[in-house]
Parts: sequence; C-alpha cells; structure tokens
Amino acid sequence: MLEQIRQWIERRRTGRTGNTAPENMPNPKTPGDQLLSECRLIVLDLETTGLHPNKDEVIAVGAVAINGGAIDLSDQFDLILRRPELDITKTVLIHGIGPEALTQGHETEDALLFLLEWMNGDPVLAYHSAFDQKFLEKTLKAELGYTQNHTWMDAAELLPAFFPNALTDGKGLDNWADHFGLEVSARHHAASDALATAELVLIALNKAHKNGLKTLRELHDKLRYHRRLKDIHRM
Amino acid sequence: MTAANQDTTRPQNTRSIMSFLQAHAPFSNMGDDHLAHFAEHATLRFYADGDVVLSAEDGIVHRFYVVKQGRIRGERHNEKAEKTETTFEISQGECFPLAAIIGERPTRTLHRAAGDTFCLSIEQNTFVTLISESESFRDFCLRGVSSLLDQVNQRIQTGAMASMGSSISLSTPLERYALRNPIVCSPDLPIRKAVARMHENNVGSIVITDDSRHPTGIFTLRDLRTMIAEETCTLDSPVRQIMTKDPCCLTAQADAFDAAMLMAEHHFAHLCVVDEDNRLIGMVSERDLFSLQRVDLVNLARTIGTATHLRTLVSLRTDVSRLVDAMMAHGADSGQVVKIITTLNDVTVRRVLELNIKKNDPGIPFTWLTFGSEGRQEQTLLTDQDNGILFQTPEGMTEDQVREKLLPFARVVNDELAECGFTLCKGNIMASNPKLCLSDQEWDDWFIRFIDASTPQNLVYSSIFLDMRAVFGPKEHLDELLDRVSTRVRKNALFQKMLAGNAFQRKPALTMFRNFRFVSEGKKHGLDLKRQGLAPFVEAVRVFALANGVKSANTLERMNELVQKNVFDAKDAAAWKDAYSLIQAIRMRSHQEMLERGEELTNYINPDDLNQLDRRILRESFRQAQRLQQKLEVTYQL
Repeated sequence: MLEQIRQWIERRRTGRTGNTAPENMPNPKTPGDQLLSECRLIVLDLETTGLHPNKDEVIAVGAVAINGGAIDLSDQFDLILRRPELDITKTVLIHGIGPEALTQGHETEDALLFLLEWMNGDPVLAYHSAFDQKFLEKTLKAELGYTQNHTWMDAAELLPAFFPNALTDGKGLDNWADHFGLEVSARHHAASDALATAELVLIALNKAHKNGLKTLRELHDKLRYHRRLKDIHRM
Repeated sequence: MTAANQDTTRPQNTRSIMSFLQAHAPFSNMGDDHLAHFAEHATLRFYADGDVVLSAEDGIVHRFYVVKQGRIRGERHNEKAEKTETTFEISQGECFPLAAIIGERPTRTLHRAAGDTFCLSIEQNTFVTLISESESFRDFCLRGVSSLLDQVNQRIQTGAMASMGSSISLSTPLERYALRNPIVCSPDLPIRKAVARMHENNVGSIVITDDSRHPTGIFTLRDLRTMIAEETCTLDSPVRQIMTKDPCCLTAQADAFDAAMLMAEHHFAHLCVVDEDNRLIGMVSERDLFSLQRVDLVNLARTIGTATHLRTLVSLRTDVSRLVDAMMAHGADSGQVVKIITTLNDVTVRRVLELNIKKNDPGIPFTWLTFGSEGRQEQTLLTDQDNGILFQTPEGMTEDQVREKLLPFARVVNDELAECGFTLCKGNIMASNPKLCLSDQEWDDWFIRFIDASTPQNLVYSSIFLDMRAVFGPKEHLDELLDRVSTRVRKNALFQKMLAGNAFQRKPALTMFRNFRFVSEGKKHGLDLKRQGLAPFVEAVRVFALANGVKSANTLERMNELVQKNVFDAKDAAAWKDAYSLIQAIRMRSHQEMLERGEELTNYINPDDLNQLDRRILRESFRQAQRLQQKLEVTYQL
C-alpha cells in the first residue's frame, strides 16, 4: 500500500491528478438502496494521543474495506501519522517512504487527502464510532478544511442489535471478540483493531442477512431504531 | 530495500496473516514473499454455523480457501443409507478444495461451516501464481495430504537414521543394486572344481544352472564346511549331490524388503535374481542389502534360530530393538517393521519350543497357537504373550491325560518366553492355562459356544481368539478349525451385529469438536495410541473380514482382501491403511524413544510433544477411524 501512496503523492506533485482539492474529493454516500451484499463499507480505527478531541491528536489510522460481504485485504489502509515519542508535531512519519518523496510541510495533508480518496465517500463503521468520528472530522477540517459528513455507524451498537441475548462480559471490543473467539493479532494497533472490528461486522452482517435485511438503509434504520429503544429503556 | 526494512513496510494486518499462515503446513515451508503475496490478495469471509461455504451448485471453483478460525465439514449424501455422511473435516490452518480448483471443476462435496468460521481465500489467478512460483506449495497442492505424510515419514526415517549413517532405502528395487555377476557351474562339475572356481573369483557361493541358465541349486562355503565335517561325500562327487536344490529366487523388480524377509525366513545369506523367464541374472547377498548396517536381520534371525541356550535368546532381544531402529532408518514403513518384529518373535518362540522339546519332549505332537496382535502379525516391541495349544488326542488317551503331559511343558515355555521379554499375560491367555490347551474337538466346541451363545463378556475375547495363527507344529488342523469358525460367523448375523456393536465402542481419540480426547485414568493429557488409535481400525476391520470370509488375520492384508471382495472402496481403504500405518509408526517411534531414555514402554503419548504436522496428521488418522466406524454403523444399523 505504501507503494500506492508513494505513487499517488508522485502523481499529485507532478500535477497529473487534478481533483485533489478538498472540494473535489468524493462526496459521502447516504444510506440508500445499496445492497449490503454488494456495497463497500469502511471499518476504521484511530489511535490518538488522548481522549479529548479538542486537545489530542490522531497518531495512526487503520482501516479495512468490506467489499460484497468480505474483508478484502488488498484494499486496506495502515498509516502512522505521528509518533508522539518523537515529539515532532505536524510531521507525518509514513514508514518506508523516504523524505525525498514528501513535500516539506504537506505530509499530514497528503496522507489525509489520500485517506479521503481511499474512503471514496463510503459509509464508515467503527467501534464506539462517535470517538473516531469526532477526531477524524476535526482533523480533516483543521488540515484540509474538509467539512462534509460521512455516514457513520457504530459497531458497538451493531452487535447488541443483532445479538441481543449474547452473554458478553462487557460492551467493549475485547468482550465481543472474546465472545466470538476472535484472535486479535496486536490489540491497540489501529489496523489490527480495525480488522477485529471488521470481523465482528461480518458476523453481524451475516445475521442481518438471515434476518432479511438487504439494503444499507434497512441496516441504518435498524440501528437507529435500536438506539431509540435503548434511550426509551434508559428513561 | 533490505529484507528487514521490507518487513516493517508491510501493513500490520498483512504481517499478522503471514504469521498465521506460517504456523501451518504447507505455508510453513513457503518463503516470505509468497506468503505476503497470499496475504495481500486474500479475502476474509465469515460463515455462521451451518452456512454452506461451497457446493456443487456454485459451479467451477474459482477460489482457494484456508480456514482461519472454526471448522469446515464435508458432506456427502449416502443414497443407500438415506442420510448425509460427514466425509472429512477441515480445521484451522487447513485448505480446501484442492482437487476441484486444480481440476477446474465444481466441488463434489458440500462444504459447510461447523461452528462460526472465518476463511481466508484467494482467487484462482493468485493461486496459480503461487503454484508456479513456490515449489513447496505446488508439491502440496498436487500431492495433497500425502505429501505431508511423506514429510512425517521422512522425519521418522531421519530420526532413526541419525545413528545409522546410511541412505539406502528398503524399497529400492533389486535391479538398482550392483548385482554381483553370478559364478555358475553345471550340476555335473566335481565339487573340487566348483570350489576352485569360487576361490578364483573370491566368492562364497556358486549357483548351479541348467542349460537354459535356470538356477537349479546353490552351493556355499557353509555347505563345504558341513560336508567336510560330517563327511557326507567326497570332493570328486558332482556338485548336484551336495547343493541346496531350488534356491530362493526373486525378480529384479522385487525390492530389498522382499529380499530381506525371504532371507530372514529361510536363514539364507544369498538370493538369486532372475528375469521373467526365470533365467539367472545376478546374485544379491545380505551384505549387499545392509552393507552399512551394524545389526542385520538375516544374521539375527539365524542366530536366534540356532541359539542353543535360553541365555543367548534373552541377550539377543536387545538386538531386535536395534534392528527396528535400523529398519526404520532404511525406510521400512510401519507395516514392514511390525512384520519384521513378528518374524523375529516367531523365530524366538519356535526356538524356545525346540530347545524345550530337545530337553524334555512331552511326546505328543501339538500346534502352538498365537492370538491377538501376534496372531495378526502386528507386534511391536511392547508385547505380551497370548498363546495356546491345539492337539490331536492320540488313540487310547483322554484329553485330560494329554493335558497332563502338555501343561507342565507349556508352563516352562511360558516362563522362558517371559525371560525373553514377552511379558506374561495378565489375563492368563497362555498355553499353560488348561482352558487354552485343547484338542481340536474341544476348540470346536469352544467356538460354537463363543459364537452361538455370545455374551457381552465373551465379546471381550473376540479381539484375541478371532485373530489366531499357528507358529509351530502342523497347520492343517488349525486351518480346518478356522474354516468352520469362518462359516459359522458368516451364517450368524446376530453374532456379527454384536461384534460390530463391540467394535463400535472403541472410540478413536477425538471429541465431537475434533480435539483430542484424552484418557482419564491417571494419565493426564495422554493419548493411548493402541486403544484409542489402532484398536478402532483393528476391531472394525475384523468384523468385515469375518463376515466376508477373509482368511488373513493381518489388518492391512484384511483391508486389501476386502477391497478385492468389493466390500471396501479402494480409495477409502487406501486412506484407512495410511492412517492406520501412521498411528503405528508414531507409536513405534515413541517406543524407540522410550527405550533410548531407559523408560518402561507404554502406548501413551502426549500430543503436545508432537509437532504441528504430526498432530494434524494424527488427528486426520483418527478421523479416518471415525469414518470406518460410520461404515460399520451403516452396515450393521447400530
């Protein structure tokens, strides 16, 4: 993938791709009649320096794509934006890409533009997605002035919605991963957590299919309904 | 870019899939670049319990799958039994569907997820790239699990070979040996001239041939020695008077194992090699076969067979164990090794009997019977005595009178065999037991009771008495007895069904979830390779063999005959034989290791001591035992 980024940056620098300005980036898709068995979904996980979107920063972005109901490993995103231990702010360390390939001062911008292009406006799933959404939107706005909103769905809501009777020890990613016996290769590594989340999403989509849910809209509505139900219970 | 650098540039998820693959054969033998190619082009899919993963309706197979988590079950509909059979199970790290993707055809087996399952898969073009670039992957795909079996056997061999330092395989056909140009003469040549010719050519034997070069006899230095010592004839007599007639011959296509077994059986050191028309083309000596070996089979068999004291026999037993090591090093498979052990055990038993007859002849002819594993010719180093006596009651004597003479004799033989390392049978299945020293009429009655009035306790003995063989003495009476037994069993459907039910109780060491099932008696985490591994095969095969009039007692030979009789499908039988032989090989290797450590021999192993490949193959072997039992279940409607 790094080879892809290198090529992409190369293309951009030589001006061969014209549509890289934020306003020309792909428009987020809304949940409509796309078939779950065919559409592309992004499953994403961010590593940050802390828990507060206002003062903390994104360190790494890991994401995989679900294409037609399967995780396609040739279509993934794994990038370290910043290494806090090096204490170099505003510097992207794209591992394996030599400094000569990067235009001074544009590293974060380049990486985020590439991320946006890679996401292609497809709906995004994350575990406790509100957190990732806030961080990503803040970063995109600050770095690129990009303000469009992607469709976000929370994997942490998806699982209890389809497995209401599952006896997990808690509501975390680890609890669900344990429940389904998943092996997570390197927990708290963005890409690895994204893959574990995506595996859980596959399990939920399999169940959704059996429950007769076919389109992205139906899935989106189911989550909203489930959330409302929960809110009612809470009141 | 350096290799180390390259590794860190690979995305975390690619690396984790690579290390997952690396833990499983055949991927463990593949290079990093090939594994990365696999990981980068893989797709991960989820199948809930019971979901169909692949079926014939999907058409030509375009993807190659590896189970990342969970299991896949292969299902085939059995039309006879009107039900679905599980034909195989694929667990973590294993791949499918090999035959279909290589044959570019739809799969014939329905693949269904058993439990929640994740599979990695690659498209056909990626598969083809890997096949063309990675030799170990190609080898695995084209030869399937059998290439893994070869790897296991190779390792068993190299392990045993470490101390032997030889690479000649017992499966090498004789034509590949540098056959000695045979020194020949006509039958009328005087012995003096024949010896002169041997001297000139510096050989120890001369083959006597007729005009068309057919070997008619052999004369060796040993014969010369005997002739002079015993003054049987003069040096001017024609050689035909003293030669050993009809020498043992094998064709050039026979392999070293055949030659070694023939030599061991007859205590010969030389064999004639002939062409299809029985014309002499060469000689092969035991020294040719085992040039680099310290212990040799033929010599050992001869030393045992001619020993004059019990003491000697006892001391020779350690050589038997060294020989087993040597045989495994020479590429003998487990079926061959157990036969060698049985052959040597037979020679020992015979010699103990001969020595005792010389000392104290009971004066009544008898046949010495062996039962159980020795009866099946499947003995390993860990063996106890299961024997009995069959006699013809001489006129004017009662059976009890005969027993009065035979039992004390048998007692001594049993004790002496125990000194030679054949443990006394705890269940007293021994010739010195009055209940097992019987006339042919009494044996007949015994079997009638056994078969017609079969009780559950009786069935316990089925594994012992239904695998019976004569080791010493006339064989005819036993053959007649076994013919009658065979007819009775074939006619008695109820007995067959009880026998089948009994065999069905011998469960292979696998749980429902395809993990190893351990024996609970004290031994934590142990597998009993004999009771949980071999016995399910032996018992099930016996039922089919007896029901179909198969004469042989050896499990592998029984399976061969059952294929010929169309009772077993040839492919099924081949898989069962492989599985059975593999369990036996692992058992024998562990015996050799225990011996080396000076431990008492047991049939227990801890699967954690095995490597990944052995564990997987062992599990697959147990799975084959389950399939054989399913056949039993269907045939006898258990």
